[in-house]
Amino acid sequence: MELIINSIPLLFKGLQNTIIMSLVATLLATVLGILFAFIQIFSHFFIKAVVEVLLYLIRGVPLLVLLFMMYYSLLYSGLQVDPLIGGSVVIGVYFAAFMSEVFRGGILSIAKGQWEAGYALGLRTHQVVGSILIYQALRIIGAPFINTVIMIIKGTSLVAIIGVTELTFVGRQIVERTLEPFLIFSLVALIYIVMCYSLSLLAQHLERKIGYVN
Amino acid sequence: MPFEIPLFIRSVPILLEGLTITLILSILAILLSAFWGVILLLSMRAGKFSNAFARVYIEIMRNTPIIVIMFFMFFGSGVIGFPLSGFIAGLLSLVLQNGAYVAEIYRAGIQGVSNRQTEAGLALGFMPKRTFLLIILPQAIRKVIAPLGTQGVMIIKDTAIVATISVAEMTFQARLLADRTAAVFEIFTALAIIYIVLTSIFNLGIRVIERKYGYKN
Amino acid sequence: MSIKSDLVPEIEINNISKWFGDTKVLDCVSLSVTKGEALAVIGPSGSGKTTLLRCINFLEDFQEGTIKINGEYIGYKHTTTEKNYRKRQHERDIALMRTKVGMVFQSFNLFPHMTVLKNITLGLTKILKQSVSEANETAHQLLNRVGLAGKANMLPASLSGGQQQRVAVARALAMKPKAMLFDEVTSALDPELVAEVLDVIRELIAEGMTMIIVTHEMSFARAFSHRVAFMAEGKVLELDVPEKIFENPQNPRLISFLERFHKGYQI
Repeated sequence: MELIINSIPLLFKGLQNTIIMSLVATLLATVLGILFAFIQIFSHFFIKAVVEVLLYLIRGVPLLVLLFMMYYSLLYSGLQVDPLIGGSVVIGVYFAAFMSEVFRGGILSIAKGQWEAGYALGLRTHQVVGSILIYQALRIIGAPFINTVIMIIKGTSLVAIIGVTELTFVGRQIVERTLEPFLIFSLVALIYIVMCYSLSLLAQHLERKIGYVN
Repeated sequence: MPFEIPLFIRSVPILLEGLTITLILSILAILLSAFWGVILLLSMRAGKFSNAFARVYIEIMRNTPIIVIMFFMFFGSGVIGFPLSGFIAGLLSLVLQNGAYVAEIYRAGIQGVSNRQTEAGLALGFMPKRTFLLIILPQAIRKVIAPLGTQGVMIIKDTAIVATISVAEMTFQARLLADRTAAVFEIFTALAIIYIVLTSIFNLGIRVIERKYGYKN
Repeated sequence: MSIKSDLVPEIEINNISKWFGDTKVLDCVSLSVTKGEALAVIGPSGSGKTTLLRCINFLEDFQEGTIKINGEYIGYKHTTTEKNYRKRQHERDIALMRTKVGMVFQSFNLFPHMTVLKNITLGLTKILKQSVSEANETAHQLLNRVGLAGKANMLPASLSGGQQQRVAVARALAMKPKAMLFDEVTSALDPELVAEVLDVIRELIAEGMTMIIVTHEMSFARAFSHRVAFMAEGKVLELDVPEKIFENPQNPRLISFLERFHKGYQI
């Protein structure tokens, strides 16, 4: 139908923002996630407790609520922050809590024997991590990492509510104009599905490549 | 901007006006998803075609953002002349999506029970179906309690999204309040705390169930 | 003893062949085990001995041949009308035949969510339709017999490997099978736990239980089995009494196989 052909360019513009937000959020979530994971594994009791409580609190709140928190706070404080950036940051911090679990699992699942073998050779902690564990951990976290990225991409759809012109927002705009919700939202869904399913296939492929079971 | 406790406290009752709907929506969504997940699981095990349909359905639901599904249901139903209320559209969307996640959890739980258990059952002389019911299923149920708990928490949090289709649950109330007042930080902090309390109670409940039914491995 | 039991073997394997894709894992294997006989099956890994055992209770399908237990077919019925001269049995008949052979696995495969007692009585109550009290009594007797009298209400996880395996033997015996199949039942055990399981098997042999034991325990096979079959590459290469097999082996592959065990081990 003509409508589809006309909508696609607009939707793709929205898609650009979706991709930008997803990349920024993923980057932030990964960096923070690794940081939190290391704190949870290696830190002393007090810092570890603070971080774990913080992560628990973040995981207990809907992402939408955090986005609203950011949006309205910025609104009323008068700071001029593009909700696209603000949204990306909030999404990044939110999913950092999930990423920390991914990285924590990856690091911990390496058999203790590997640590001990490394220490026995005379390596120090950072050397053991850098030379031995990194490669094994990467094989293990590959799939859950990608699954979290898929969640991030889906999470960016919520910023449609605070006016960011990403894919879902554009979809809604078109529907309000044309009153073809089934068609347009199916198209929107299709674009998300193509993106996320491809990633999920990649994750499945990685899971298969892991091979060994503990 | 200083955090004003009185405003914080005064926003709570208003937010709690939406709590009933949040709770009802959450409970219905959880129960119906658990049930819908069983149906999907059965169709996955029923034969090549029904398995294919189920898998396609699951992948569609897993890879589409919930808000898109809700908009689809809510606005779509309006246009074809059978307008669904935000509550029904939201509930439907939650069940359709989470049923898919739950079916996957069931499937993984069953697969996680070793083939050797099936062999031991068959070797005794049990038919395949009875082996499944008596030996595999009880073990699978113990395995899925934790993942189902996590999914339940996700459902509770996703109910916040129906605020965008005008359902008067807690987040909606918060937004109304925020549009009228300047104490936005206090309002949303209160909202966040209520959600944390809700999900924590739910998590505790899951842990009680886990302890009672003895989770294996 | 009636004439029938002398003529009709307890386990009869007729020209079994099995392929996994292009690989032939069992090559026209024929074997008979008479009532009361303990047959040991030895051989290198991949020789097909475990696969053969699993064909007997039809946990593995086979493309050619038939198997009979106590004179009755399992898996495939011989017929003159079907293409391969055999017809696959219904699930129900296969399940019924499986109650006539007991199998004990290398990894015990006890049901972790049930007590030791329940593991043993499950088949009795659900398949043989015995009453709970009847089943419990049988189970307690069997537990006594394998030396685990007080363990009825414990969960498998709290038992040692040797104890779990003895429960597995009791579970299989509960169904009063015509024959027992032991699939490398001591290979997964710590060395000091092996003896308690072998003792149980030895007693069963003395009591006249028909059995096939796939094993690496050469000294046990030498001392207590009635015949030994040596398998390699899906074929039975030599089949004789233990004295001949271990002291006077003929087949070259058997000779080299035994040589590997001779080094440092007493036979």
